[in-house]
Amino acid sequence: MSVIDQIFEKAKQNPQKVAFPEALNEKMMEAAYQAGENGYIYPVLIGNPEEIGKTIQERGYNADVFTIVDIKEETYKHSLIERYIALPETRLKEKALNRRMADALQYAMVMQAVGDVDVTFAGIDYTTGDVLLAGQMIIGLKPGIATISSIGLCDIPGFNGSEGSLLAVGDSAVCTNPNAEQLASIAISACDTVKSLLDWQPRCAMVSYSTLGSGQGELIDKVTEAVKIANELRPDLDIDGEFQLDAAISPAVAAKKVKRESAVAGKANVIIWPDLNVGNVAVKLIQQFGKADAYGPMLQGFNKVICDCSRGAPVSELVGNIVISAVRAAGSK
Amino acid sequence: MERNEILSQVLEMVAMSYKKDVSELSESTSFKTDLSGASVQMVALVSEIENELDVALMLSDASACNTIGDLVTLIEEEM
Repeated sequence: MSVIDQIFEKAKQNPQKVAFPEALNEKMMEAAYQAGENGYIYPVLIGNPEEIGKTIQERGYNADVFTIVDIKEETYKHSLIERYIALPETRLKEKALNRRMADALQYAMVMQAVGDVDVTFAGIDYTTGDVLLAGQMIIGLKPGIATISSIGLCDIPGFNGSEGSLLAVGDSAVCTNPNAEQLASIAISACDTVKSLLDWQPRCAMVSYSTLGSGQGELIDKVTEAVKIANELRPDLDIDGEFQLDAAISPAVAAKKVKRESAVAGKANVIIWPDLNVGNVAVKLIQQFGKADAYGPMLQGFNKVICDCSRGAPVSELVGNIVISAVRAAGSK
Repeated sequence: MERNEILSQVLEMVAMSYKKDVSELSESTSFKTDLSGASVQMVALVSEIENELDVALMLSDASACNTIGDLVTLIEEEM
């Protein structure tokens, strides 16, 4: 069974509530419907109930699959606002929140923040910027995390690493030029993401062009500093480096290059790139030469699971990302 | 509201969001060179401005401000 099939099976065992603020979008509604009808999630559509109901009927879907939330209904909105402002560490007060909740995306995130839904899924009509900003403002970042970032899951034919053909890599999409503190955040978030999604024991390598001081320079200093910060913040996680990529994933190379104890060297299942130049090029190399399937990017660093999908994605890919997000949400509870 | 009044409130909010002493800040303090904050701090600041001054700023507009003075001008325009 492929990794994605395993994730789908896992979703079915514990379906989560997923909010769709772009309910009327044709692709989005179809993806929400497929994921709901197959029992992977409970789809919650947010917006104008008459319009949504009419569209469901026109498209021939079974309306029982969906829960519809009326964005204009005052009683529930007030209950959301009351519960939201009572949460610790929230930024917005009643008046500002009330104004922002006229927008379906921000409404969905308020529902998520108070626990009425588990995931917010958007990104077709809303831009990535809209989703990231609303996420920062309403859901907020996890304590101790300095940046939003992302990881991808690569399934690489012929690769035989510590998780078989699978390798998680990040950040290849969001944080352009992380400083040491941000790089540490990316590594910590990545460990939490793979734990919640795949039940892995994360072994996270922070990679560079040097292995444990074999090279010198400021590009390496950033990575070693990040390892130090990550280990101080989360001593429970196995995060190590700086390693070259081969020393991180190949036991034979690690045996030669890493002359001290390491829970990660040679058997890393999570690779953290030093910046987005490396991350983007590396993922393209894995895809072009390694013929790998890459799943993601999965956003991480937020207090709860938010998914910004790709605008051009076909419905099948949207369903995959919805299910991945739901399993992450279930795994992080 | 007078510009000076907005400025003094914004200085307090910047001090809180960026964890600085308000005495270190002025209208000419630069977000990039003097405060070197991440976007997380700017989100906190924009939220605080929205709560306290009842002005909803676009985060992208606020992030484009070089100095605290520019931010005050932006708030005046939105008021």
